[in-house]
Amino acid sequence: MILAFDTSAAHCTAALLSGGKVLAHAHEDMAKGQAERLMVLLQEVLSEAGATYADLTAIAVGTGPGNFTGIRISVSAARGLALGLGIPAIGVSTLEAQAFDTPGPVLSTVDARRDQVYLQGFGYPDAPPPQQRALDTIAGLASPPGLTVIGGRSDAVSRQLDARATASAYPLAEALALVAATRLSEPQPRPKPLYIRPADAAPPRDPAPVILS
Amino acid sequence: MRASMTVLGIESSCDDTAAAVVFGTPDQATIQSSIVESQTDLHAAFGGVVPELAARAHAEKLDHCVELALRDAGLTLADVDGIAVTSGPGLIGGVLSGVMCAKGLSAATGLPLIGVNHLAGHALTPRLTDALHFPYLLLLVSGGHCQFLIVKSATDFRRLGGTIDDAPGEAFDKVAKLLGLPQPGGPSVEAAARNGNPKGFALPRPLLDRDGCDMSFSGLKTAVLRMRDQLVEADGGLTEQSRNDLCASFQEAVCDVLAAKTSIAIKAYKGLSPATPSFAVAGGVAANQAIRGLLETVCTENGIAFSAPPLALCTDNAAMIAYAGLTLFDLGRSSDLSLSARPRWPLDQSQAPMLGSGKKGAKA
Repeated sequence: MILAFDTSAAHCTAALLSGGKVLAHAHEDMAKGQAERLMVLLQEVLSEAGATYADLTAIAVGTGPGNFTGIRISVSAARGLALGLGIPAIGVSTLEAQAFDTPGPVLSTVDARRDQVYLQGFGYPDAPPPQQRALDTIAGLASPPGLTVIGGRSDAVSRQLDARATASAYPLAEALALVAATRLSEPQPRPKPLYIRPADAAPPRDPAPVILS
Repeated sequence: MRASMTVLGIESSCDDTAAAVVFGTPDQATIQSSIVESQTDLHAAFGGVVPELAARAHAEKLDHCVELALRDAGLTLADVDGIAVTSGPGLIGGVLSGVMCAKGLSAATGLPLIGVNHLAGHALTPRLTDALHFPYLLLLVSGGHCQFLIVKSATDFRRLGGTIDDAPGEAFDKVAKLLGLPQPGGPSVEAAARNGNPKGFALPRPLLDRDGCDMSFSGLKTAVLRMRDQLVEADGGLTEQSRNDLCASFQEAVCDVLAAKTSIAIKAYKGLSPATPSFAVAGGVAANQAIRGLLETVCTENGIAFSAPPLALCTDNAAMIAYAGLTLFDLGRSSDLSLSARPRWPLDQSQAPMLGSGKKGAKA
């Protein structure tokens, strides 16, 4: 049984899956308050299926990209749960989860605000690795025949690539669990946030004085 | 006889990721293990702690620290009776990571969870290290805080006064930055001050002409900046000696303010006629030997016992959080899984705020 959850954007979502079947699912839109809501929501999802934490074989957690704080809320909780339960926590990015089970070449996107997107390509030779890109530079990307764009701002992105925009095959939490299930057979690293964008940190503007010898 | 407990503590409110195990009762507790992973190198290039960098590091270090703390104590989670976590005040990204990791551990194990005020952790440390009796007078002096508190119980703190602007730890960091010394500024300014003349430069002692225990340190920092600029303009740079002298003069000014205000605070505290009058200094700045030494003298002059935690328990650590959590569990308190992380959380909420307001709320 896999418990999956995500708070990387303005939502708190979770799903409980067993053998690829959804036992319970919850999705709540919220701009803030995920830190307070998440663990309570997980308990509700487990209860709905008549399950407990002891029934779990793995945790699947969304690693972003998205809201930095939101990603950390889920990743930190997943690491705590994994340590406490002695089961693996498997990090899956939104970009991978959205593309899961859609045939053909897929460009997965997440709104990065200010007319920027996070994106990653799957299933074609020049598929771009995870990156952040301004919407007006999308046309520079490869556009293989039959390309499908999935995710935030997919309409704007698909227009520039002469591609088709479509919805993800599964709701996010469900997709996270399904991707994680494909990795269960091998040891996985602990989940890490996929920030893509480096932290805003600049060296001090006021330079240190010259020290005279 | 109260039952002994084993409490796991988690701390991530600034730039130290920490986990610890404490065993015992509120009156007699011992530290079984204490892991502190510093992020000093991570922030070195930026002249101060960068909140986003700190949060990123905490999120990926916390569970490792917990494992190390349990291993060092020779325990597993099955031996633990409760989980205590700093739930504020502090840099919110780091606090959130700690709170969520603790919630995950608590949900997974069914162990009770308690959110601890980081400042209460510092404030109760003298009980852990020196078994001080309530009520004691505390100078809590750190990177973000500076206040005199009468600690009446594990949950009752009365503020006598505090800084109206910067905290001394912040001033040490800024002075280090101004003078091209490495961060954290406390130890590097203290080291430079050892080779300097404390009378080398005349620096202000703000608010010494006022009654009460309130303090101010931001003007002092600006005065150091002016002195530095004058020297740099005159000589094209700063000699090692003038840097040392500036550090020594700055440190002495901080010492003088803290000493004078401590005397005033002691008089107010003695008005409560405590059975065993005692003063404790806690927080990162309490690691400064010059400040410790002077405060001890002030206490001796005023006929009051002095105590200061060992250096490793002055700076941020999780043993103090585990101990504070232990005392709260002992009082029957606990938090549920909706526990919030708070960027600000004054210890004494009975009085009008003296510092900070707006969306984040009062700082002190």
